[in-house]
Amino acid sequence: MKNGKQKALNVLMNILLIIYAIFALFPLVWMILISFKSDTEVFTTTFVFNPTLANYQEVLLRSDYGRYILDSVVVSGGAVLVSIIVGVPAAYALARYNFPRKEDLAFQILSYKFAPEILVVLPLFMIYQKIGLYDSYVGLIWVYQLISLPLLIWVVRGYFEDISVEIEYAAQVDGYSWYQIFFKMLVPLIKPGLVSSALLAFIFAWNSFTFPLILSSNKVYPVTVAIMKYLGTDSAHYGQLAVASTVSALPAMIFALCIQKHLVRGLSFGAVKG
Amino acid sequence: MARIQLQNVRKAFGKVQALDGISIDVKDKEFFVLFGPAGAGKTTILNCIAGIAMPEEGVVKFDDDVMNLTDPAHRNVAMVFENYALYPQMTVYDNMASALRSKLYKTDENEIRERILWAAKTMKMENLLERLPSQLSNGQKQRVAMGRALVRTPNVFLMDEPLAHLDAKLRNAMRTELKEMQANLGSTCIYVTHDFMEAMALGDRIAIINEGKIVQIGTGDEIYYMPCNEFTAQLMGDPQINIFRAEVFGPDDSYSIKINVRGESVTMALPKDDGVYAKIREQGLSHADIGIRPQNVKYSFEPKEGYFKTTVYSYESIGNKSVIVAECGDYQLRMIAPNGLNVAIDSEVYIRFELDHIILFDPDTKNYIVRSDEANFIALATAGEEK
Amino acid sequence: MTTEKKSSVKSELNKVPFATRVRPYCIVAPSLIITIGIMVPFAMAIWYSLTNYSFKLPSHKFIGISNWVSMLGDESFWGAVKISLLYGVISTVLEMVIGLGVAVLLNNLNNGLSKVLRVLLVFPLMVAPVTATIVWQLMLNSSVGIVEKLLNIFGVYNFPWAAAPETALMTVILIDVWINTAFIILLVLAGLQSLPKSPFESAKIDGGSAWFNFTNLTLPMLKPSLYIALLFRFMAALQEYAVIFALTKGGPGDSLMSLSLTAYQKGFKFQKFGAAIPFILVLWLIINIAAKRIVNLQRSAQKQAAGLEE
Repeated sequence: MKNGKQKALNVLMNILLIIYAIFALFPLVWMILISFKSDTEVFTTTFVFNPTLANYQEVLLRSDYGRYILDSVVVSGGAVLVSIIVGVPAAYALARYNFPRKEDLAFQILSYKFAPEILVVLPLFMIYQKIGLYDSYVGLIWVYQLISLPLLIWVVRGYFEDISVEIEYAAQVDGYSWYQIFFKMLVPLIKPGLVSSALLAFIFAWNSFTFPLILSSNKVYPVTVAIMKYLGTDSAHYGQLAVASTVSALPAMIFALCIQKHLVRGLSFGAVKG
Repeated sequence: MARIQLQNVRKAFGKVQALDGISIDVKDKEFFVLFGPAGAGKTTILNCIAGIAMPEEGVVKFDDDVMNLTDPAHRNVAMVFENYALYPQMTVYDNMASALRSKLYKTDENEIRERILWAAKTMKMENLLERLPSQLSNGQKQRVAMGRALVRTPNVFLMDEPLAHLDAKLRNAMRTELKEMQANLGSTCIYVTHDFMEAMALGDRIAIINEGKIVQIGTGDEIYYMPCNEFTAQLMGDPQINIFRAEVFGPDDSYSIKINVRGESVTMALPKDDGVYAKIREQGLSHADIGIRPQNVKYSFEPKEGYFKTTVYSYESIGNKSVIVAECGDYQLRMIAPNGLNVAIDSEVYIRFELDHIILFDPDTKNYIVRSDEANFIALATAGEEK
Repeated sequence: MTTEKKSSVKSELNKVPFATRVRPYCIVAPSLIITIGIMVPFAMAIWYSLTNYSFKLPSHKFIGISNWVSMLGDESFWGAVKISLLYGVISTVLEMVIGLGVAVLLNNLNNGLSKVLRVLLVFPLMVAPVTATIVWQLMLNSSVGIVEKLLNIFGVYNFPWAAAPETALMTVILIDVWINTAFIILLVLAGLQSLPKSPFESAKIDGGSAWFNFTNLTLPMLKPSLYIALLFRFMAALQEYAVIFALTKGGPGDSLMSLSLTAYQKGFKFQKFGAAIPFILVLWLIINIAAKRIVNLQRSAQKQAAGLEE
């Protein structure tokens, strides 16, 4: 009896999961389908159509798409890199040292993630124009810290808090200097959190729309903004748009597949601690 | 190996005075035990010696060198942490090799291997070397933590309750092993424990720590037989010593004490003891706190000459023997009894003190005044100190 | 017995070495510099809100709080507040509920399906919200979209979706849910997997029902993770810009003019910077108050959860 109930429950759970999976994955499938459709077929066909590679040729070979992707890689990658270099030590300090108003500072850093992008962007637009950071890699990497730095600091801080301070003492007593301890002992221990929060930060930076829309124009053209080009004023090339966004989602997806084992584990935020 | 000195070391954490003027002088090759209740400051003392904590006042010396400004890496101390502090990402072998692979204490890999195998054998954990700390039980982790210290040749071993999480059998074995090893290596060792048996068995000398202060330093015997106050007396000994208030009276050549048992006065003659009698006379004592160890309290379940009556509060086994606790009103009396007695709670029990084994404390200051047969014990203590 | 040494009072020997003392500051400095650099625009924004700054004017001058006053008198302001709050609350609640449910399913079902989906279900997060919105727009097209075809089967024709003011909000929320539920699933799943095992083992011995275990053990211990997910999601949803912008640019009519969109429109389309900024500052205020509250809840839930673990 109980076994039968358990089985029924199991079936129900599987069904619910499949329903959600269809909801979550179908649009992706649809996007890929569209990428193989010609512009005329986008609105006239559903599943049966003449697949064409024309969109891929158009986007990948005949447009500046490669450059847009490169811009996105430089800006998002650069932003995450800067966040790691700057954020990991800061996370350590917020976890280990006690200084006045520490919690306030931690919240302050976190709150940057929540600052309305438009609020920052309006004044930055003017500042950047004045100091020549408008439409530059450095300018975008700088402002992307708002997206990547708080997330990284918060996740990694949780990891540092979970490492007992005695481990550092033990390493000191074992004859290691502070820098050796930091890089040889602590960094390996925070790696899961670092990798997954870096991925998440990378995704958010990659997908950022408002910042590049307003703070860059021609020289630096990340893919999110560039995609809107395919909707051009004269005619909308949905097929090409689908190609562009499918390809632009690939790096993060591949990254996620590579680190799938750590991805979930790494984001626990040190939420439950003893 | 080195002589380790702390001179008037003070350290506060916020408003809590963790160390309040600690001075100790650990001789070269001595096994020195820090013993006291939880939160007394024992671990902080070790941290100050290791350089992990910085004393706010006072000096830390290794031999004749002031070490205050030397960082932990350069002090060459080996420390066993209470929570093990193993490196989670390294195997047991790499954990133990860690210090010997650092730039400062660089050792040849073959030599490292030899020492690790020796330490692993001593700690009975040869089969664990390739495991990660997460795959170990607490007892095993503790042995690894010990092993990590033992492979070194430091100025001093600092051990923070290193046997606390081992099972009883292993703990006894390790205790013997450790003492022997320390004697063979000729190493200075400062050892923190809250286990009285461990302190007695291992320590050349014991320092009693309470609330950041040193209460007493001496050999095990000295502290056990002549505790400097009631706190130390209660700390040293299991089951705990009985201490109760008594009135002291009588002519100069035959004192008696009178105690209160459940509202009734019981009077007992104090056996003649030159030291005790002299002190009572000298200080004109009218009251004293009397300390008497449980093994010196005799009982009977039948009325007996010289025994006073009271009732049983509890009867519990503590292993190879049992403890009877008797209810006496304001206080309770613990006494040793064999296992397997048929004792009913609240039944009557008759008690007699062996008054030639008592310690007298000042009822106000709680400090030691005198004990029975004191001269003998002083001789014993000085003999112990010389060994 | 101890030999009492002469007491040495505080001396040079008790000073923490300089290198050790300055280390914390050196460590935090880079991130402080960066964040302070980001704070400058905030401060400037507040100043500009008191001016008539505009690209059209050669210079700007201080005009006091008149931008603020005119905003409060502006009907579109109150409408924008309402839309931002509605959008933020509804989408966050839906995402939290669905995300928690799916994460629990993924965690409990330890079969091949759930293992594959653990990775696949994160993918919507990786498509740029702007393009995701456009794909949805195509799917929802009221004449030829795939969803329309599906609704036709149930006898519903020409469902307006984003084209009608009544259904526009629902539509953007649907898309937001599609994109961002993945984020909640990720964080909650991480929380579920980091739960300690021992309380569940003892619950098994006590023989509580699965539902009892879920409400009495899982949820309380999961709370810290849930608050973190809520925090990140709610704060982002309150200021969502890309989805609405890509779908309808705020229309039809004013039906989707949230605070973010209104400010963007005023600032860039109408070139009135000074007038746009108060809208965002209000948004920022709402967000900051909510965030502080959630962070406090999270910290105390964390302490409670740590207590449960023992």
